[in-house]
Amino acid sequence: MSGIGTGYDLYPTTFSPDGRIFQVEYAHKAVENSSTAIGLCCKDGVVFGVEKIILSKMLVEGTNRRVFSVGEHIGIATAGLTADGRRIVQNARQEAKNYENFTSDIIPIHVLTERLSIYVQVFTLYNYIRPFGCSLMIGSYDEEKGPSLYCIEPDSVALGFYGCAIGKGKQEAKTEISKLKLSEMTCKDAVKEIAKILIKTVHDETKEKEMELEMSWICKETKGKHKLVPKKLIEEAVEWVKGQENEED
Amino acid sequence: MSSTGGYDRHITIFSPEGRLYQVEYAFKAIRLAGVTTIGVRGSDSVCVVTQKKVTDKLIVPSTVTSMFRITNTIGCCLTGRRSDMLLIVQRLRHVAQEFEFKYGFVIPVSYLSQRIGDLSQLRTQYAFQRPAALSIVLFGIDEEYGPQLFRCDPAGYQVGYKALCTGQKEQEGTNSLEKKIKQKSDLTTKETIELAISTLQRVLNTDFKPDEIEVSLVTTENPKFKVLQDLEVEEILNEIAENEF
Repeated sequence: MSGIGTGYDLYPTTFSPDGRIFQVEYAHKAVENSSTAIGLCCKDGVVFGVEKIILSKMLVEGTNRRVFSVGEHIGIATAGLTADGRRIVQNARQEAKNYENFTSDIIPIHVLTERLSIYVQVFTLYNYIRPFGCSLMIGSYDEEKGPSLYCIEPDSVALGFYGCAIGKGKQEAKTEISKLKLSEMTCKDAVKEIAKILIKTVHDETKEKEMELEMSWICKETKGKHKLVPKKLIEEAVEWVKGQENEED
Repeated sequence: MSSTGGYDRHITIFSPEGRLYQVEYAFKAIRLAGVTTIGVRGSDSVCVVTQKKVTDKLIVPSTVTSMFRITNTIGCCLTGRRSDMLLIVQRLRHVAQEFEFKYGFVIPVSYLSQRIGDLSQLRTQYAFQRPAALSIVLFGIDEEYGPQLFRCDPAGYQVGYKALCTGQKEQEGTNSLEKKIKQKSDLTTKETIELAISTLQRVLNTDFKPDEIEVSLVTTENPKFKVLQDLEVEEILNEIAENEF
């Protein structure tokens, strides 16, 4: 079968006649096949939420993580090929460690983001390696600078966001996110809002199996450390979402 | 597609007419970004203006930048594929720092441009690599030569300019600048900035708001590379608007 890229889409080193690199665009499609992840930059921190589809009842809850810590103060949420995401996180951890050894200070998020962006970029330059098929959201909270959220796509473009969504439902999620007043929201409220977007807007109960919510945050409450959102809070958020549904009916 | 006869898929293959299609496609990729950059060199200043396109209101605007500091007095504006930018900036910085360490003085803009041009050419000759889809505009105040404005393209071709336009509206911008520079080429700082910004506005047929463009200015009085703040840009835009009436 031939698409628009046929012939120009075999290597990341080949430009198409209109100047596109199809291998990198196909890597984006790999991300779009995966379930959604959301990151919100609130008043007092950053919250991540991932919609994890439960593929089998035999799977232990809480395993198959999509959210990772780099150092204690930075969190990374992935969408796309999980294994690719883990590789980049491994590199991020190495960078953080090297920075700390060299400067005796924890790595600032914008430095880490730039280094990861360059790392991801290198894999789009040669014909003997393939681009990463994953997008990452990187978040951190600093007492002075406040919360920061960056997103790195498979083509290595890294931009700062107030709110971001990656994966299958990213369009619908982004629409919902732009309705929120993020600068006035606390992290606790964000947990609820993210749960609402993932459960109601993004997750299609008729098409897909059950989902598990994986949420983590870096905020004032956790004293700038990246931690999983307490299970109790997630359960409360899910209850709240169900309550909202009943109200609307 | 078949008219090129399959000679356009690999960097190291010449077409029967002697063209390297992949390099030409890299130029197309620059235009794909939809951004235009204009640079003007005056008698004691250089001003470079580029469009700032923030596609989503969820994006933090300060993280979208195409202007980078290479050394304290040399700046670089990149137009084209955003993903290739950081690596080129890192290379430029590395080359500049290595030079300064070795020779004890700041790398001349012309030499930096030559070095990056040679590195870009290498990427057009190896099959396992691709060229960076970027138009690299280097500018700064040189100790010896004064204001400098250079551009390097994916083919490795680099040359100095009195004024340049690159990106999507390259042809229109270049024509517009040629007319103005013919009339007067030794411009004051004020004239340099106004020519750069007003040409960009004319070519794109829009009146900019301060957050839609990035302006960088280096002068012999103030050779330190900096990107102007929104307020400063607003002042200049207002002045230009007044002058046109």
